[in-house]
Amino acid sequence: MAWSRKSAMFAALAVAMYLLGLVLRNQQLVTVAVVLLSFLTYAAFRTTHADVASSGRRLDDADADSGVALQSIVAMRKLSSARVFEDGEIDVILRIQNRSTLSKVLEVRDRVPEVMRIKKGANYVLMELGGRKETEISYTIEAPLRGFYTIGPVCVRVQDAFGLFHNEREIQLYDDFLVFPKMEDIKDALIKSRVPKIFTGAVNIRNPGEGTNFYNLREYIPGDPMKKVNWKAWARSGKMMVNEFERDAVSDIILIIDSRSVSETGPVSRNSLVYSTRAAASLAQYFLSRRDSVGLVTYGDEIVSVDRDTGKKQLYVILTKLAGAMAKGNTPLKVVTNRILPHINRGSPIIILSPLEDDPTVIDAVRDLRARNFDVTILSPSSLEFEFDARRLDRTGYEVLKTERDILISELRGLGANVMDWEPDMMLVTALAGARGF
Amino acid sequence: MGTRHDARNCISRSKRILGGEIIADDVKTDGPSDTSHLYDGKTVRSSAPSRKKAAGRLKSSTDIPKDAIPEVHVPSWIESFFGGPIVSSMKFLPANRTVTNLQVSSAGCLVLLTALTLLFTPVSGTAWFAIANLIGMPIIGGVIHILIMIIGAIGGAYGIFQRDQRALLVSYVAMLLVTLRFAGSKVEFGFDLLPEQEILQKVLLIAYAVFLVMYFELTNGIIRFSMLDTSIRTGEVYVMGEGKIIRQYYRAIGITPVVAGIVALLTLLINLIIPAMVGIFDSVQADRLRESVELTSVYGVALGTAMVFTVIAAAFAVNLPLRLQQMQEGRANK
Repeated sequence: MAWSRKSAMFAALAVAMYLLGLVLRNQQLVTVAVVLLSFLTYAAFRTTHADVASSGRRLDDADADSGVALQSIVAMRKLSSARVFEDGEIDVILRIQNRSTLSKVLEVRDRVPEVMRIKKGANYVLMELGGRKETEISYTIEAPLRGFYTIGPVCVRVQDAFGLFHNEREIQLYDDFLVFPKMEDIKDALIKSRVPKIFTGAVNIRNPGEGTNFYNLREYIPGDPMKKVNWKAWARSGKMMVNEFERDAVSDIILIIDSRSVSETGPVSRNSLVYSTRAAASLAQYFLSRRDSVGLVTYGDEIVSVDRDTGKKQLYVILTKLAGAMAKGNTPLKVVTNRILPHINRGSPIIILSPLEDDPTVIDAVRDLRARNFDVTILSPSSLEFEFDARRLDRTGYEVLKTERDILISELRGLGANVMDWEPDMMLVTALAGARGF
Repeated sequence: MGTRHDARNCISRSKRILGGEIIADDVKTDGPSDTSHLYDGKTVRSSAPSRKKAAGRLKSSTDIPKDAIPEVHVPSWIESFFGGPIVSSMKFLPANRTVTNLQVSSAGCLVLLTALTLLFTPVSGTAWFAIANLIGMPIIGGVIHILIMIIGAIGGAYGIFQRDQRALLVSYVAMLLVTLRFAGSKVEFGFDLLPEQEILQKVLLIAYAVFLVMYFELTNGIIRFSMLDTSIRTGEVYVMGEGKIIRQYYRAIGITPVVAGIVALLTLLINLIIPAMVGIFDSVQADRLRESVELTSVYGVALGTAMVFTVIAAAFAVNLPLRLQQMQEGRANK
């Protein structure tokens, strides 16, 4: 049984008045103190009377067993989905059973993660639950941020009518769910590999070969099939010309996400890591839908990678990794590239999502990649903008840091990387188009 | 050239950034902070045009994202001491029926309490009476005494109908302050109209104490139910079977004061109960006890309190409430 502040103050007042009454020989004070103490005692008596022994389990297992005889309050929960995207909604149904024969006034609070918003209904219910009765509480939560989350425990409280004392139990009932980063529809990311793989696929690469899209014209070489001859071009130029087509092939796309602690600079819902994960999710979906092979590398305090693969299953593997990406550590990009380079096909497009801050090895790493003929695209969500918008950075500081950042970006562009300084309000498609120079 | 020079200046400023943290005061700027000139003559392909625009036109009215600055409530010393605010700053919605009923009950209770306070607390023995006598103007003591009661009554009435916790707090303090006086162990009245019989006197005293406690509880109930009602209406909490919960509160409001009154009566009448019990075995000893000054004084009440609360403590020690519940449940199962 726990005391509320009200009961503690009443008790303190009663004791003080009682003692003062004895000192001043004032029966009036002593009488008030005795009534106050009696009031408290009776309320305590009634509260102890209210037993809240309880148990909890998932609603799916509700019929699995009948519970223990002493457990008078039982909670069961059901979620509409265990996996949602950011801004998605989850319907929660909480069933409360009173297995006692006595009616109880209960306060039930189902604990939801702090970042979640209750969109419909309430997770905090005050109810009178009759003996051997059950009730259902339903509410909808909105998940604004990616991550692994847990709903629970269920807190059940019984208190006296005056709110003086309460008994509280936590029903250890937990349900986990996963919030994936939300994805933006990318029409055409314009990222193509120069190196084919052995399987033909939907993605054409910038190499001539057997495909459907026109690549260029060249002079006829003996052995070329006649169906490739471009008669109009021959007539125009006087030379026998043939059409060449882009080769259709599957390409490897490597996404590298910077999840160092610096990537979380800025507000919770607007920082570089949030933007990077959303962009990575969108890119992964786009490339996988085109039957490309996509791999993911995240680096923070350690390097975590998802091996290249294709298909929907790969998308969920990547999304799960992205949902769990935590801003930690300070592993330099160079270490990452050194580790992954031997395992990537030369010429594969590499997309780096990083704020480019606090890492002196960025230029070296990109130079290395470019030297090995990798097509490097860097999308850099600018944490300066987040900080400045949040007024955590004054204007002069912002300008100075921005100039430094511009110089770094210019250097990276000079190395042949496609770099985009991604400002907070810019859509991913626009940012990608900007990075590729379109 | 000029542009390059400006850019160099800007870079040299950036050298003053220590450990990645900017010391804003160290950076001196001359003239307006429009830095768009830094980009003049530069070929920027993708994002720069918008950045140039932003750098040149940034205004102090840039909206702050909602989650940028977390709301931090720094507790005052009194909040730190009590573990939270004494007076809630919650804005209430218009009173519903329950709150209105409580307001009316509280007002009635306040009227009775004021009347009983007036009857039970003479000015004699109070600190202000002593001071007024000391300066030779005893009337001032009486005026202060009445004034404190008026403050208690008016503050209470205002607090009840405006649901203002500060006014209620003032009223509580005034109502308690007025009782603080040195008295001679026996019940004294402010007026001579009251009964001489000891039991009647004590019943009246208990009625006063019960009304005081009820006043505390009812006014607290006004705030509690106003908060609950506001929370319900704003969707923060959902209430199932609201009527039953309120009925339970009313029932408790009816029963608890009666129980408390009976316990207090037992305590106060200990000077009659003990001699009566002893009288079964020895009438002479019982008569002696009946005439004992200790038993009839406030110390007799103290003894009574100790005895009654020892019994209550024993009930808690043997976990009587839980046993009662188990018994009730067992009976219901049959």
